[in-house]
Amino acid sequence: MELVALLLILLIGLGAGLLIQWLPMRHQPMPTWPQRAPFLGGGTPDSHAWSRYHVRYYPMTLLLIAFEMEMMFMYPWAVVFVEKGMMAMMEMGMFLAILSVGIVYAWREGVFKWQ
Amino acid sequence: MAVNWLRKFASRSAATVFPVLGRQGEAALHRLALTPGIELVDSPRHASVLLVAGEIPADRFEPLRRVHDQLPHPFAVLWFRSEPWPHLEDVTRIDALDALPEALIAAHRELLLGRRDSASRILPDEPPNPWEGLGDFGQGGEGMMGGVPYGRPMAMNMMDDVRDGLTLDSLSFRLGPFYPGLPPGMAAEITLQGDLVQMWSTQLAPYPRALDPVFFAARERPVPIAELELARAHHHLRRLFSALRLAGLEGASLSALRLARELSPGSRLDGLRRRLVRSGFFRLSSLAGGALEAEQARQLGGPAARAAGLDDDLRSQDDGYRRLGFAPVTQSAGDTRARWQQLLAEIEQSLQLARRAERDKACTERMDSIETPRGPWLEQLPQDGSSLLDELMPGLEWGDALATVASLDVAAAERSLGEAPA
Repeated sequence: MELVALLLILLIGLGAGLLIQWLPMRHQPMPTWPQRAPFLGGGTPDSHAWSRYHVRYYPMTLLLIAFEMEMMFMYPWAVVFVEKGMMAMMEMGMFLAILSVGIVYAWREGVFKWQ
Repeated sequence: MAVNWLRKFASRSAATVFPVLGRQGEAALHRLALTPGIELVDSPRHASVLLVAGEIPADRFEPLRRVHDQLPHPFAVLWFRSEPWPHLEDVTRIDALDALPEALIAAHRELLLGRRDSASRILPDEPPNPWEGLGDFGQGGEGMMGGVPYGRPMAMNMMDDVRDGLTLDSLSFRLGPFYPGLPPGMAAEITLQGDLVQMWSTQLAPYPRALDPVFFAARERPVPIAELELARAHHHLRRLFSALRLAGLEGASLSALRLARELSPGSRLDGLRRRLVRSGFFRLSSLAGGALEAEQARQLGGPAARAAGLDDDLRSQDDGYRRLGFAPVTQSAGDTRARWQQLLAEIEQSLQLARRAERDKACTERMDSIETPRGPWLEQLPQDGSSLLDELMPGLEWGDALATVASLDVAAAERSLGEAPA
């Protein structure tokens, strides 16, 4: 019963959202071709804008994931910490030490320096 | 009913104006930036009114047609001190600067209330390069990257990277002459690799910038130094306005413009300088590039040369200035940051000189050599230096490149076409 109600709410929500978007769009023609071209202050492009380029923050995102994994490990660890005592403390210490070696290495490689 | 209310609310919003600048059209821009009820936008997509300010040379008609057709429907076009094209119907031309803000706001209001028809498009509504629909992905060719979808080739990696060896697809395009980040009228052909400028070739030089009439008067007769120095500070403050706008510091840019409007020998720069320091303008990492070599700096002259450590200033040869204790200020780094520090220092110096000159009623004495805000004026007015960008830009990141262009006054100087800018 609850599932049916949830499904109904979902459908009504989705329908209303689409309706609100569709209503003002009914009589709107597509933008003209010149309007759809990229704005270059009157200039023109030679090639498609679909080009492969290097997002320079990529190493930073990898580091963020490393920190995230650390947090994921810490939540269950906190639950059993009281029960396990010193042993849990040592294990976490080892884990953090290994992780920080990675961070120190990344630091040395200049990952935190914005290019 | 509801739609009528929406229309009414929308019509009371600020008029979004995209300015297309022609020769000496900047006076209109500076006026509109300080007018409440008008929002100057950086792309035609966000505008409801296109303002063509100043005479557009014939070689920039084609780009203007493209920008004209990039405004979303409905839109209005106003021509300010510029001759509208004869084939356009129902166009508005305005010549009085005072009438311009009201005309723009009225055009925006009438458009949104449905009392004014949208301007008609100029270009045909057809794809610039038609879809060819061949290949596995409709890319118009064989293989993954072999096609020319819409007649334009895919960006391919054609050149070696100039930064760190990581070769990326290069993207070539022509930018301008109506791109707000470049000096008015300037167009360049640019190749980017990622965010790095690989090649820069200036195609159209920027319009010559109008010098205050007092500099021309100083070539003919001695003029009060106070007047000359205020005109110089005024010129520099307006340049600072464009750069701060580009840096996204809208509030600071407007206070620079306000200071320029109310400039008098008693004006103080401290407030603006404090604001710039607090906003972090001088700490922006994009101000670190664009260092000029001695030869380039000498070629360009003016504040850019003094920011690179050259102490060439024709004012030091003038006895009138010497009696006021004038000595050129210089920086050493020669990069974008040094140029802005130099410009602020020169504005401050000009205000001090103006105060002293007003007290002593000092006048210029030499008429054959004048230091204009753009550079030295010996036999001829400072000439266009935009070709310098071709050697300066490659290797800079896009943000640094735009900051460098904004910090260099490369446009030639010329006499004001009409009345002196307000």
